[in-house]
Amino acid sequence: MRSLKTAALLAVAAMTLAACGSGGDAAEGDGKVKLRFSYWGSDARQKLTEQVIAAFEKKNPTIDVVGEFSDWPSYYESLATKVAANDAPDVMTLEIRGLAEYGGRGALADLAGKVNVADLDQQVLSTGNFDGKQYAIPTGVNVMGMIVNKAALDKAGEELPDDKTWTWDDYIKLSEKITKAGDGSTFGTEYTFNQVYLSMFAAQRGEKFYNNGKIGITPETIKAWWANFDQLIKTKGSPDAAKMAEIAAAGVEQSLIGTNKGVFGMWWSNQLGTLSKVSGSELTLLRLPKAEGASSHGMFLQPAMHWTASSKTEHPAEAQKFIDYLVNDPEAAGILLSDRGLPINSKVLAAVKDKLPPADQQSLTFVDSIKSELATAEVPPKGGSKMEDIVRRYSEAVTSGQQSADEAATKLLEEANAAIAG
Amino acid sequence: MVDSLSLKSEVAAPAPAPAPKRGRGRPRPSVRSRREGWAAYVFLIPWFLGLFLITIGPIVASLYLSFTDYSLLDEAKWVGLDNYVKMFTEDPRFWASLKVTTIYVVVSVPLQLGFALALALLLDRGLRGLSFYRSIYYLPSLLGGSVAIAILWRKIFGADGLVNAVLAIFGIQGTSYVNNPDTALSTLILLHVWTFGAPMVIFLAGLRQIPSSYYEAASIDGAGVVQQFKSVTLPLLTPIIFFNLVLEVIKSFQSFTQSFIVSNGTGGPSDSTLFYTLYLYSKGFKEYEMGYASAMAWVLVIIIAGLTGVNFLASKYWVFYGDDSK
Amino acid sequence: MATTVSSRNPVLYRRRVSRGAKHLMLIGFGLVMLYPLLWMISSSLKPEELIFREPGLIPSEFTFKNYTEGWTALAHPFGYYLWNSAVITALSVVGNLVACSLAAYSFARLNFPLKKLWFALMLGTIMLPFHVVIVPQYIVFSQLDMINTIWPLILPKFLAHDSFFIFLMVQFIRTLPRELDEAASIDGAGYWRTFFRVILPLCTPALATTAIFTFIWTWNDFFSQLLYLNNPDNFTVPVALRTFLDSSGESSWGPMFAMSIIALGPIFGFFLAGQKYLIRGMATTGLK
Repeated sequence: MRSLKTAALLAVAAMTLAACGSGGDAAEGDGKVKLRFSYWGSDARQKLTEQVIAAFEKKNPTIDVVGEFSDWPSYYESLATKVAANDAPDVMTLEIRGLAEYGGRGALADLAGKVNVADLDQQVLSTGNFDGKQYAIPTGVNVMGMIVNKAALDKAGEELPDDKTWTWDDYIKLSEKITKAGDGSTFGTEYTFNQVYLSMFAAQRGEKFYNNGKIGITPETIKAWWANFDQLIKTKGSPDAAKMAEIAAAGVEQSLIGTNKGVFGMWWSNQLGTLSKVSGSELTLLRLPKAEGASSHGMFLQPAMHWTASSKTEHPAEAQKFIDYLVNDPEAAGILLSDRGLPINSKVLAAVKDKLPPADQQSLTFVDSIKSELATAEVPPKGGSKMEDIVRRYSEAVTSGQQSADEAATKLLEEANAAIAG
Repeated sequence: MVDSLSLKSEVAAPAPAPAPKRGRGRPRPSVRSRREGWAAYVFLIPWFLGLFLITIGPIVASLYLSFTDYSLLDEAKWVGLDNYVKMFTEDPRFWASLKVTTIYVVVSVPLQLGFALALALLLDRGLRGLSFYRSIYYLPSLLGGSVAIAILWRKIFGADGLVNAVLAIFGIQGTSYVNNPDTALSTLILLHVWTFGAPMVIFLAGLRQIPSSYYEAASIDGAGVVQQFKSVTLPLLTPIIFFNLVLEVIKSFQSFTQSFIVSNGTGGPSDSTLFYTLYLYSKGFKEYEMGYASAMAWVLVIIIAGLTGVNFLASKYWVFYGDDSK
Repeated sequence: MATTVSSRNPVLYRRRVSRGAKHLMLIGFGLVMLYPLLWMISSSLKPEELIFREPGLIPSEFTFKNYTEGWTALAHPFGYYLWNSAVITALSVVGNLVACSLAAYSFARLNFPLKKLWFALMLGTIMLPFHVVIVPQYIVFSQLDMINTIWPLILPKFLAHDSFFIFLMVQFIRTLPRELDEAASIDGAGYWRTFFRVILPLCTPALATTAIFTFIWTWNDFFSQLLYLNNPDNFTVPVALRTFLDSSGESSWGPMFAMSIIALGPIFGFFLAGQKYLIRGMATTGLK
């Protein structure tokens, strides 16, 4: 029976192993409050964030902030897992689409009156409000606009359009001309199926994406939107559907503008810096083209991200203190600058304005110049996080000729309405 | 004992035992079998610990969740069979994903296994520098799940990729294969075939389990290379072929990473690469319907288990084990 | 393959030609297979701005900047992440080898009550998609207070959680003639000794396969390492590699490619070392 004894020993070893594990890191009795803070991004953001954390800890020696960092594609998966396991980080970074999902299910704490918001842009602040509760404080703002490569436009022998008056037809015709003027490797424009684009397009026609618990856009609007893409593809103002899908999937740096192969493109204002850098060209921000006879461009201020606190946190005071520091302390803004959007705190902004990189100063000037025209972002209802996927999917099917626009528009609205009904 | 190997016989049972020796010099069967039973369970202690400590709980939990409406962010609510009913009656994307996955499995598994077996045979013996080739041919599999794969695949099958560069020589202008709904799935099938390293290695290891004396015996009997392959290699490799088949079917049905990376997690363009688990994943983690995702998971388990069961039943007719001492 | 030796020249000649053809084929085909890897190596040696602008494989400008920058770009030098990965991977390999071979021997060779049930259950556990057990599994490890330690990553290996390898070894053990065990048993060996002295040595290829695959899969496993090792100080290679990328902004492709190549080093090395054992099967152990 010697064989059995050895095997049993092994088993015991395995069990002690398990036991060891459970006793592993429990003791950390340095009397500090441990605050867990989750965010996503790349190594550059991680470094900035670690600096901010260090600066905060210096001011608040009794708090130990532990950053939990992940890349974007896996962020919500790991965050949702932790929340589901009742192990939510105390301070969480979300974006506007996550607000209703998390806030509407009781995962977030109401920050109204807990964080000083006196100096914040009140209009933008309202995008952190859901169901009458201030679940989130915006980290900063972006605007989606039309980015133009001026030099390439000159080369094609065209003039910068007057962005106050230009229409979608102007934009499509101009794109066609630019492609024709080139040698076939450059295009007039690239396009995106971003849901935000559709929202703005609809707003020009006086329709809201979300309207009283329903989708407020009409099939006609969606079809008009798709017709623009079809026109662009047909006139070669943009690449064909498959190639465009490939470019869109490849990201900012390999976009047409980023590689100097396109003149127009719709991007967030905070991407201007990256685009300028990778293309090495001087880029300009313009207002979106308008629908014929529209009164506004439909553009709006979008919060880049949201700071939120878990409703289950054991350290609400410390969590609030940290968020307060992030939005109100010029020291924090001096480190983060525009990494999480253009600051919305007027005092902070004044203090760091000159330190912003040139591209962000350019965005800031642009935003300031059109401020009075800008609306506020809509807070998507619960189920709103499905919308991006729905819009993209049907748009792909229509532009690649797999589905008729009529059928797709009806189905899109059906699916979108079902998504927010539940 | 290898002497008894008969190459001429059509029934290729490789090592028929020369008369079982049960009972000689042994305790009585009942005592022996009881002792054997005990020993077996002792050997299985780590596995049982794992099963009850970390495996069974989550599995049962997911089964329970499949009958609930569960968003991950708040409490699960019991809804009975709702998820299953909804899946079968009102979710076209469920069927779309099942179709995509089935095509993927049916095409890519035989291709990949055939490819892996052919290369394993080629790289087994009889050529100098084989260890070098083996390593080279394994390299693609090391890259299979890497984030770089999306870019690399675009470099080959993209609008400005290698394939189109070659086609351009012949004056053909191609499109982007990765992002064309008609061809996107084919590029993922190729990606799967390309990462044939794992089954190849298993085949190689299996080939080495075949005693060389069998081949010697065969060649003395005058069997040529083809004959040797048919009567020695193939039958003796069947347990390994079977293993690869069962596992590749299971793994391919669960295929996730490659589509997730190449399509940016969308399963696009227009759902042409929406693998079953990718859809399940986006239901669970992007749309906050973990109850529904769990139900999808259990439907997949039933499909896979059914296929595996069929595989096992069929294996009685074509798989030969060295321990078949009947 | 060893056919009878012939001294006739045409045969030798023909064999040499066919060997040459085989080499040519293997090399040519290998190059096609390796194209993506070669592209990656070439890109890692280009200045970053040329990576997507220059289509060819041969860089017009050589630089090691991606390597030097990539190595130091993150919060820790890249070697730090390599070490973290190495620890987890080494322990995983040991765990899988020990636990899975024990279980496999039992399933392959011993008879015991409920064997079929357990075997089916063992196989069944690999059929459930990983994504629906993440949350409950996280709860288990969080109950055991193991979050932010390496235990959630290696404990499952020591408890034979990877049914793939159990099944793999079962299949290999079953290719071995049963007479071996019986002979050992006649010599008075118990189950433990039979397992250790007879079965294990003859299973070297299966053990090597297990070791190689465990190494590679653990080394490349991204999500569970991200999930259980929150703290950036515990980050491993696959997690660190992804931080080079930014889905909405500027990615560091050059350094990412460079570090990916470096990260391939250990797995490739392990494969090179392991394949020696991979081919040390019954065929070469002189079993007669």
